[in-house]
Amino acid sequence: MNLLPLILYAAAGIAYAVHFARRDAGAGRTATTLLLLGVLSHTFVIGMQTMEVRHVPFANPSRAVATFVWLLTLSYLYLELTTDERSMGVFVLPIIIGLQLIPVLNPGVENKDPVLDSPWFWVHVASLLFAYASFGLAGVLGVTYVLQFKEIKKKHLGYFYMRLPSLQILDRMNSRATATGWTFLTVGLIVGVVWTLEARRLAPGNTNLQAMSLDDPKIFFAVLTWAVYSFAVLARKIMGWNGRRAAWLSALGFVIVLLTFLPLSYFVKTSHTF
Amino acid sequence: MHLFLLGVSHRTAPVDLREKLDFSSRDVGAAVEALAARSSAAESVVLSTCNRSEIYVAGTSTATARDEIVRFLSEYHDLPAESFTPHLFFFSETEVARHLFRVAAGLDSLVVGEPQILGQVKEAFRAAAERRCTGPVLRKLFDWSFNVGKRVRSETALGEGAVSISFAAVQLARKIFGRLHGRRVLVVGAGEISTLTAQHLRAHGVGEVAITSRTAAHAQALATEVAGHWVPWDGFATALANADIIVTATGSQRPIITRALVESALGRHRREPLFIIDVAVPRDVDAAVGEIEQVFLYNVDDLQTIVQENLSKRSGEIERAEAIVNEELARFLVWQRSRGAIQTVVALRERFDSIRRAELQRLESKLGGLPPETRALFDQVTRLIVEKLLLDPTEQLKGLPDEETQVAYTEAVNRLFRLRDDSGPGDPATSSDDVTPAQRRSR
Repeated sequence: MNLLPLILYAAAGIAYAVHFARRDAGAGRTATTLLLLGVLSHTFVIGMQTMEVRHVPFANPSRAVATFVWLLTLSYLYLELTTDERSMGVFVLPIIIGLQLIPVLNPGVENKDPVLDSPWFWVHVASLLFAYASFGLAGVLGVTYVLQFKEIKKKHLGYFYMRLPSLQILDRMNSRATATGWTFLTVGLIVGVVWTLEARRLAPGNTNLQAMSLDDPKIFFAVLTWAVYSFAVLARKIMGWNGRRAAWLSALGFVIVLLTFLPLSYFVKTSHTF
Repeated sequence: MHLFLLGVSHRTAPVDLREKLDFSSRDVGAAVEALAARSSAAESVVLSTCNRSEIYVAGTSTATARDEIVRFLSEYHDLPAESFTPHLFFFSETEVARHLFRVAAGLDSLVVGEPQILGQVKEAFRAAAERRCTGPVLRKLFDWSFNVGKRVRSETALGEGAVSISFAAVQLARKIFGRLHGRRVLVVGAGEISTLTAQHLRAHGVGEVAITSRTAAHAQALATEVAGHWVPWDGFATALANADIIVTATGSQRPIITRALVESALGRHRREPLFIIDVAVPRDVDAAVGEIEQVFLYNVDDLQTIVQENLSKRSGEIERAEAIVNEELARFLVWQRSRGAIQTVVALRERFDSIRRAELQRLESKLGGLPPETRALFDQVTRLIVEKLLLDPTEQLKGLPDEETQVAYTEAVNRLFRLRDDSGPGDPATSSDDVTPAQRRSR
């Protein structure tokens, strides 16, 4: 079921690459149309899965990745349609396509543990996935900022200079995406703690719930992510860390997000099973 | 209807002659009206810029067109014809369209790809259209040229990248700051390039321009010119701390902006970037200033390198732009040919319809007793039969691939259906919309 969105995302990715390389407005419009179709088909898939398991499907690593991809695509489309700036597409689409491969190759089975049947849990996961999507965008904006900055600073006005928006716009968009992501991450983590305490009380025999602490690698990395982004937000406000420093921080933050999200979910034994 | 073009440009005439033949300093609309009044031109447009004066004409007389326009130029500018005729170029038919398309695309400009020319072509056409000196042929030709200009700009990089030092500086500022609204500029010294750069920055909406110079009178004069304000020389360091963009061009033999000065001006909490454009020789800004994280420092050589790179990039795009011109020219010629066939198509339709009506008339005695609805149905059915019979021949005549085939086909149709007996030789010049400006204005 996840294959159709993947095909449409891949086609959009090719169109964004053509648009970026040739600066062809027609290819840009085609790319946006394909991405809209991709996200529509993805909405349909997620809708079907929601009807099947009676909640949004993200209590399983692969389905959580698929939902993250869906949110990242929606966030990117929001950014593109509000700024009329398509040059980010060529950087965002590889992430979207790469991550969407995971649910296609390994669909997984949705976890139907009754302990997850709490509104706190869904707010926790939805907030974190949206925060990660915002960080994904901030990371891409950070990388493009660095590319643009280097070309202008070193006086080699080349490929990226001709294609990327101004440093100021990239920095502002990065700041907004990071602040949005940080807000949702904070809410998600607080709600996660509240839910864990409540769930422990309701299901005292659940070993996973009892083992949830900072020692757990997934939880440790989630808190580390929060620390990095809190520093990024505060450093910008207080110490004037904008521009290149902020760009590097958002790129680093997103690497930690991906580490929290992928290898830890699949390869490391953790009490946090999704 | 035939197309002619006569003119001078930077390719054929020196600047002093171009100045003498210039229309742009006077009323171009009045000039085109004067031309229309004294020539047989059915349609005319005068395109006059600092690099060209060109007269586009659509008319019926091929023999006298050139002489008429030369006489007009001579009388209008009060110049003996011999003084400019060796520098004139004269094009007719397809070459007129090709030339105008190249002009609108920026391919014939002194600085290839410069963007102003398309607006100037539009303005020239508007001035002629307002005086009712244009008609269907030039309207189509100029509309087509606007489209060619737009296509070349959107599909090639011919107009991309600044090709002057001052504009390169403004483009860089826009890549650093995005919109320049509200940005503060400090101009140090008052040279030619710094003045031009300040003017360009002002045109791009910067919020404030401060000018300082050791010679207060120079700074005050430039402040008036660019709607800025003068800052005394001893307030230079404070002005530097407040600026987002600094343009410096003093005659100092030693750097006046050092790393220590900039660092102390920026302080510990300065977040915004600082863009310094040093167009002075010898340089006004110590190279170490460029090492500060948020400072972008460009000197005159850096900007010159950008300009040279952009020029060479533009020349690499010429081939693609020429391909677009050729493609659009081929389409335009198809349109022109289809226009040539219209007369024959109209005559053919009239012949068929007259036969239809004559037959209905002949059968009037037999049809007279029928109810009005049935007669209306007869009329409608016979008209539809004629329409269907003529559909394919009409399309074929309009879409003929070349002029030779078109002449052969229209001749054959004229003979087969005896069209000339009714409608004459079928010269498109007699078309109802091909009238002289005088006739058009009197309507």
